[in-house]
Amino acid sequence: MARRKQRRKEGKVAIPTASMSDIAFLLLIFFMVSTTFRKEVGLKVILPEARATEKLTRTRDISHVYIGKDGKISVDDKIVSPDILKIAYARKVEEKPELIVSIKADKNVKYDYIDKVIEALREAKALRVVFATNYKK
Amino acid sequence: MGVLPKRKPPEEAEIPTASMADIAFLLIIFFMVTTVFARDKGLKMLLPEKQSETVKIKSKKIIDISINDAGQIFFNDTPVQNQMELKQKIEEEIKKDPKKIVLIKTNVEAPYNRMIEVLDIVKQLKVKAVALKSIRPEG
Repeated sequence: MARRKQRRKEGKVAIPTASMSDIAFLLLIFFMVSTTFRKEVGLKVILPEARATEKLTRTRDISHVYIGKDGKISVDDKIVSPDILKIAYARKVEEKPELIVSIKADKNVKYDYIDKVIEALREAKALRVVFATNYKK
Repeated sequence: MGVLPKRKPPEEAEIPTASMADIAFLLIIFFMVTTVFARDKGLKMLLPEKQSETVKIKSKKIIDISINDAGQIFFNDTPVQNQMELKQKIEEEIKKDPKKIVLIKTNVEAPYNRMIEVLDIVKQLKVKAVALKSIRPEG
């Protein structure tokens, strides 16, 4: 009995903390690499709400088109006309065929502007489109 | 002057690494707290390609929903009071023939919100295909 007690004292149990910083930095670097930063500021829009809202997983392939309350169209923080939008997206699709265009339009905007943007995107062959919405409660 | 004081052997310089883990975790926690998750979400659509010839579909196969300039919704030319009614009507049509296609015609003066409301209803039901069209007064 006495012997057993002694053995316990000798083998002090310690969690190895030397590699802890490596683990932490690895995590840090992983998160830094996997994060995509929002490139543009965009316009201030109130998105419409929909129950069928789906999450988008392929964040890297998404490009945003903002349509403000007054019908302004913003791409990469530049106010553009539908014609310029068409040219810009034709080039983008050429670079990245799997491009997804997220249309972030204000809910009170006239459908006219949406239609013009959709038409321009169709002509630019940017066919994968998402109407950005928020979840409806 | 004659006797220089004997120099001590230089101590080995060491960077203390014991607190490195704390620093790294602190950074992680800082970034976690300051990050705002802006996940993109919305209603997915695949636009039709621009083609020289148009695909003709029998009008029997089409569920016609239109939105006028005041935002009033019409189902096959009859006005619809609320969204529930519209949903029921579409559901009935789909039950009769699951191959039916929904056509949403929106007046250019109508608010975008209305069109999304209709598209939302259509998306909730399992509809084979959705088509979008705009109505321009001048034709």
